[in-house]
Amino acid sequence: MPVSNSTFSAATRPEERPGGTGSSARRVIRVILLSLTLTCVWLTVRFPYEAESGLEYLLSGPNRINPQTLHLRGEFVESNLGPAEEPGGGVTVRMIAEQYLFVPQCVVVPTGVPLRVRITSADVVHKLTVSDAGDEVKAVPGYVVETHLRFERAGEYPMPCHEFCGPGHYAMRSKLIAVPPEQFRNLSQQARMNCVSR
Amino acid sequence: MGSDVAEPPVRIPSNVAWTARTIAMASSGDALRGLLIGRRCDRCHGREGFSSSPSVPNLAGMDRLVVWKQLDDFRSGKRSSPVMQPIANSLSLEDSADVAAYYWMMPIAPDPQDDRAFPQSLSDPKHEAVAGRLITAGDGNRGLPPCQACHGPVGFVTGAPSLATQNATYLLEQIEGFASGRRANDINLRMRSIAVQLTDEERHALAEFYGAGLAEPNARPAGR
Repeated sequence: MPVSNSTFSAATRPEERPGGTGSSARRVIRVILLSLTLTCVWLTVRFPYEAESGLEYLLSGPNRINPQTLHLRGEFVESNLGPAEEPGGGVTVRMIAEQYLFVPQCVVVPTGVPLRVRITSADVVHKLTVSDAGDEVKAVPGYVVETHLRFERAGEYPMPCHEFCGPGHYAMRSKLIAVPPEQFRNLSQQARMNCVSR
Repeated sequence: MGSDVAEPPVRIPSNVAWTARTIAMASSGDALRGLLIGRRCDRCHGREGFSSSPSVPNLAGMDRLVVWKQLDDFRSGKRSSPVMQPIANSLSLEDSADVAAYYWMMPIAPDPQDDRAFPQSLSDPKHEAVAGRLITAGDGNRGLPPCQACHGPVGFVTGAPSLATQNATYLLEQIEGFASGRRANDINLRMRSIAVQLTDEERHALAEFYGAGLAEPNARPAGR
């Protein structure tokens, strides 16, 4: 037999009275349930502009990255590219390889300081080659690759792509300019990523 | 070192990411519906997709993904234009795909009856050689890839427009915009990195070369 709502009146359920301890407990439970639901939605649903769901995002390890959404989030958003000074005294350079550019195309770094270069690809496989340093890094879409360098001598070091990546491959060249640390410190972030006037 | 360097705010150039889902959404437009929506675009972009004003882009034969992305960027404010932003705001994602499909299907053949600004002649005959070299070979010493590797006909990068039938004044404004950062909706700094390296003469030469219809016409990327 169906029970009407009036059966559960305020008199039979005193904990629902306004200000009762039961009502605040229920409110807390409601908030927890709502947060759990929202978390589940975030974990499973792919939102507009998002390439993967939250779960996929969490499961990809620290060196995995979605090449299609580099500009939307993570360490390779455009305001995070280029050289960045680390608290320990070193410099981290973040770069993106894409058809047919390395971005930023020109990086200014200090001499005599350990450099950590972190690079990923936005499309196909590229290879960043640092001339004189004898170092080559393969930039593979989906992965962040890291290499460690140190320049003792100031100067210009061309960094071409050494992996055929398409019809514009032969022009895919960036450069690294090593300058004394004092000079580096005086440069703005903009000047550390733009060598047009050099 | 480090502590005195302020963290730059995160800057997102465009909300569009070329995922399979986005590409499918942008490519699934209904051209007939797009024709009806696109009637209000005729006044500036021309009845046949060729504008009578050289500072307004020609849209005939334009890749669907390009039109869709630019409309989305206008809508989100990632690309600014006092004219286009309110128009884009009135369009849904589906409307944008429909309009994009409509322009994509328009022929790029010349029509003497049409009042179009394209093609215009070069202001300096030397520009043909300057632009021709950059378009076909680029400049390896400066790390400038050839334009045709991304804008066709040799190769197309997703979201890169064909430039073969584009108006010169519009193109020049865009190159200048990318160089100065006034236009900054290119994903991963691609066009900004290139435009900033072009000299004044090269910017004019490139815009005029394309605007004169000297590039090989290939309005749409192969396979799409």
